[in-house]
Amino acid sequence: MLQDSFQATSRQPICFQVYPITIRIRRITLVPVYWLAAMREIVTVQVGGFANFIGSHFWNFQDELLGLASDPNNDPVFRNQCLNMDVLYRTGETQQGVLTYTPRLVSVGFQGSLGSMSSRGVLYNESSPGPSDVVTWSGSVSTHASAPHKKNLFLQRLYEEEQESFSMINGTSSGKSDSQREIQDKGIVELLDNHVEFWTDFSKVHYHPQSLYELGGLWMDPQDFDNYGIGKDAFSEGFRGEEICERLRFFVEESDHIQGFQFVVDDSGGFSAVAADLLENIADEYANTPVLLFAVRSPSSQMNLRSRKQTIFRELHDTVSFSRLASFSKLIVPVGLPFLSESKASTFLRIENEKPYHCSAVYAAALHSATLPYRMEPVGPTADSFDVSGAVDINGFVQMLAGQARQNTVAILDAAMPAPALNGKQHEQSLLGNLQPLTPEVSEDVEDLQAVESMIIHGALRSDGRRASISEVKETVNAIYGHAITRPMFCHLSVARCPLPIPLPYPSIFGNLVGQYGELLNSPFVGSSPRGSLEVHSIPMAVRLRSSSAILPFLENRLGNLRRYGLQRGALGAELLRNWGFADDELYDMGEMLSKMVSTMKPHSEISSDSD
Amino acid sequence: MSLRVLNPNAEVLNKSAALHMNINAAKGLQDVLKTNLGPKGTIKMLVGGAGDIKLTKDGNTLLKEMQIQNPTAIMIARTAVAQDDISGDGTTSTVIFIGELMKQSERCIDEGMHPRVLVDGFEIAKRATLQFLEKFKTPVVMGDEPDKEILKMVARTTLRTKLYESLADQLTDIVVNAVSALSVLCIRKPEEAIDLFMVELMHMRHKFDVDTRLVEGLVLDHGSRHPDMKRRAENCYILTCNVSLEYEKSEVNAGFFYSNAEQREAMVAAERRQVDEKVRRIIELKNKVCSGNDNNFVVINQKGIDPPSLDLLARAGIIALRRAKRRNMERLVLACGGEAVNSVDDLTPGCLGWAGLVYEHVLGEEKYTFVENVKNPHSCTILIKGPNDHTIAQIKDAVRDGLRAVKNTIEDEAVVLGAGAFEVAARQYLVNEVKKTVEGRAQLGVEAFADALLVVPKTLAENAGLDTQDVIIALKGEHDRGNIVGLNQHSGDPIDPLMEGIFDNYSVKRQIINSGPVIASQLLLVDEVIRAGRNMRKPT
Repeated sequence: MLQDSFQATSRQPICFQVYPITIRIRRITLVPVYWLAAMREIVTVQVGGFANFIGSHFWNFQDELLGLASDPNNDPVFRNQCLNMDVLYRTGETQQGVLTYTPRLVSVGFQGSLGSMSSRGVLYNESSPGPSDVVTWSGSVSTHASAPHKKNLFLQRLYEEEQESFSMINGTSSGKSDSQREIQDKGIVELLDNHVEFWTDFSKVHYHPQSLYELGGLWMDPQDFDNYGIGKDAFSEGFRGEEICERLRFFVEESDHIQGFQFVVDDSGGFSAVAADLLENIADEYANTPVLLFAVRSPSSQMNLRSRKQTIFRELHDTVSFSRLASFSKLIVPVGLPFLSESKASTFLRIENEKPYHCSAVYAAALHSATLPYRMEPVGPTADSFDVSGAVDINGFVQMLAGQARQNTVAILDAAMPAPALNGKQHEQSLLGNLQPLTPEVSEDVEDLQAVESMIIHGALRSDGRRASISEVKETVNAIYGHAITRPMFCHLSVARCPLPIPLPYPSIFGNLVGQYGELLNSPFVGSSPRGSLEVHSIPMAVRLRSSSAILPFLENRLGNLRRYGLQRGALGAELLRNWGFADDELYDMGEMLSKMVSTMKPHSEISSDSD
Repeated sequence: MSLRVLNPNAEVLNKSAALHMNINAAKGLQDVLKTNLGPKGTIKMLVGGAGDIKLTKDGNTLLKEMQIQNPTAIMIARTAVAQDDISGDGTTSTVIFIGELMKQSERCIDEGMHPRVLVDGFEIAKRATLQFLEKFKTPVVMGDEPDKEILKMVARTTLRTKLYESLADQLTDIVVNAVSALSVLCIRKPEEAIDLFMVELMHMRHKFDVDTRLVEGLVLDHGSRHPDMKRRAENCYILTCNVSLEYEKSEVNAGFFYSNAEQREAMVAAERRQVDEKVRRIIELKNKVCSGNDNNFVVINQKGIDPPSLDLLARAGIIALRRAKRRNMERLVLACGGEAVNSVDDLTPGCLGWAGLVYEHVLGEEKYTFVENVKNPHSCTILIKGPNDHTIAQIKDAVRDGLRAVKNTIEDEAVVLGAGAFEVAARQYLVNEVKKTVEGRAQLGVEAFADALLVVPKTLAENAGLDTQDVIIALKGEHDRGNIVGLNQHSGDPIDPLMEGIFDNYSVKRQIINSGPVIASQLLLVDEVIRAGRNMRKPT
């Protein structure tokens, strides 16, 4: 019995049947699993449209890593990732006895947001029933079929390759030359760039039937589901919340020792209320399990504010949404710049702000990197392996960033995508310089002596194009901080040798200074078209989570808006907040919480703390 | 008007156009749901864009699956869904009743009547109908034990509109037995309402739907997570608890603050000991109650149990389940006795429950644990089996409605004759008695309301492929002769619903009579519809 072999002593690999060939784009789903005593599971929860876009890219990365790890012809760096995928994935078995390996994920989306993907996935489906077999009714049957969503070229290819791999196992092979493939790949990349409507359009991952939940029966357009008030009852009404919690429990129950929940929430609309209600439930049911939350939003959700009324509306939503989510999570990381493509974070990228497919790709890459430390194989408290260093679990993460003297639970996410080469003195500043915030409304160049950072660098290259070793990266970072003018109080460094692989359905967002392995070139490639997965195969990444007073503008804006539009006498938004179901004392508590957050971050908090 | 000045782009519909928009929306929704009604209705199979299938004969489920855009239709749908929330059934009836009220009103308005007068007539008719319902209902005496025959008739009436006959009849017994077991508790404590959540609905994707059965006890959707624990045990003590049996890193001592590995190991060992101590207390209790006999001991915990704890429990011969549903904690206590324990300090033999048989059933990766042969089950499980998900979902919906029907009957202490008998009787009452007492044109409102009531028998006849005119004339005739009759769906002849055992819920009927005219009146009194972009519908 697979699920049962958990004893600390059992380190024997459990043998799976592994397909003898590699599938090129959907990486195979079966890999040998090693049960380690220290393995601790994470349940991922994605709530809302943009969160699912990010999630789709995120799981594509994981799928790509799984596939690369099992292909013996690949770069050894991918074969020895020293990442424990079991932290995020679960092993299961269908009723027919076929083993499966799927993300431990609950995704909540709008009804109809799954496009051509069935909410139950395909792994666990028996032969699809014909329309005639209604066994519960002897009377007449009327069938109402909505126009089927056509699978796009990419999804068709996935399906074909899967069928092909099965037939190849059976001995027959279909001859398709490599050149044909290349032409097809080009077509797919172009198609995805122009025609992504649903997050499932570019997903190559198989999901568990319990994973994908659609919020139904709301009788509104997705674009109307855009504020906290509209979503506030969506969770509690009509067994929806119960169903979501049941699905979550399914994944928690089978986990031997869960280390935490990893939330990605699109907090730009009604889904933030859904997530807040779900979090409230989690706080109740799994009281000691830490929650790490990424509050994400797409650039397009932050545009088009026409009237003053809408501005107030939006700002109150932002405030309420942030404070509700923050109050239920151990660490919250706001992610999402209003103008991503113009920001410094995308210096080497070519992004179109209005395409969620593009923007989510950047954030997903940063999320992948930021979550590496709690997926690394822990080698021991002191020893370092050759491939990874600096494993921390979620609890450690939270303690480190939010548990120090200041108890600040809001962290800033910075990313350097791709990370610059690490060597030579002239480049030393560029690593810190390239780390640019993906968190909105943060101040630049603040000197915060109490700042705490966790830096994650993986796949870093030296300037000669070779991969830097773990110790080289460590030394370089040490040297950088040694020379830096402002230094954080504490910096934790996690390093991995494995870079970020770029799967085929990744958008073409790299500028012409990015090389095949993500190296930054001195002279640009000719041609102005952005480079994508066919030209760039992997990139080195550096990200940093920091707890710093640079977050102050973000917090102060929210506190200010709450006071101006909600708490003051005769405030313009007071009526609105009442409609959203907030009583005066709740708003007061919210204000109290925000002002406490602000005052802990102020350098001289004991002087400036006001009692408003 | 001021809105038009403020927003020149706003699209304004004038009075008659607005009225017709409302009427058409109501009729449209009625057309969709009409074919659902009754035991001869049509089941609907909905196929989504990705090929997902939903099966439904239930108006409530159907409405929730529909992408309704029209604001009037949304208003009606919300009323109908609220109807289901309150009384558990009658969604389809509400929608077709509102649709019919609007249809009748349209006729009157086209003849030049003012909506206000109609609405007044509706109000009078509604009050009169509710009074009539009080007289018409059949009281059910709830003694120490509910009369199962009448409960079965009500449940069967509901279930036969959702499932084919023999399956419906099989489920009728299951549903009635499940609620009766529960209601014994409530009769003892009449101030507490029947909590239908104490009936667990569990499903297995397996075999065929006739395997659906009542388990007197509980079925949990998980099993033990240790290879050495027994898969089947008889004569079991059941410990229901909410105690964390996993090692949780305490908040202050995060890993990287240790100065060396030995210190860390020591801390971990110390914290591990606390967990082990809790496990040891449970094992002590087991040894105390199980020594000298071959009884077994089962722990069902709402919190987690980690592998080392499982290992200790397994070695002591205890079966342990972790992360049980919160509601199952209550259900277990109702089913097995004993009480739920929140701390190992409260452990006494008195808090243990009892089950004659506990066993595990495995289907692929899904595990089920059956806790059966309990002494005095007040909480039981309806185990639904079906070949695929959409069949299971449909049976589940039907069972839920059946449970609600039984619960309503016990709480109402009354039922209403079905098969359209009530609607025809009420119509005759309104036309023959009430209309005369009303002065002026409001009479027409009463008449419109009375005719709208007939939509139920009409639709039943239509769905059964009968001639509606013949049926209505026959029914009216019998009622005028003083016979209370309903419609026989097979032959089209009048039948006595009392003899056939066709009963509806009193509270469902009352709710329909109450809410239908309210919504219809609101829709009729609309003067203007102003469409000024999306933001109109948002709360501001």
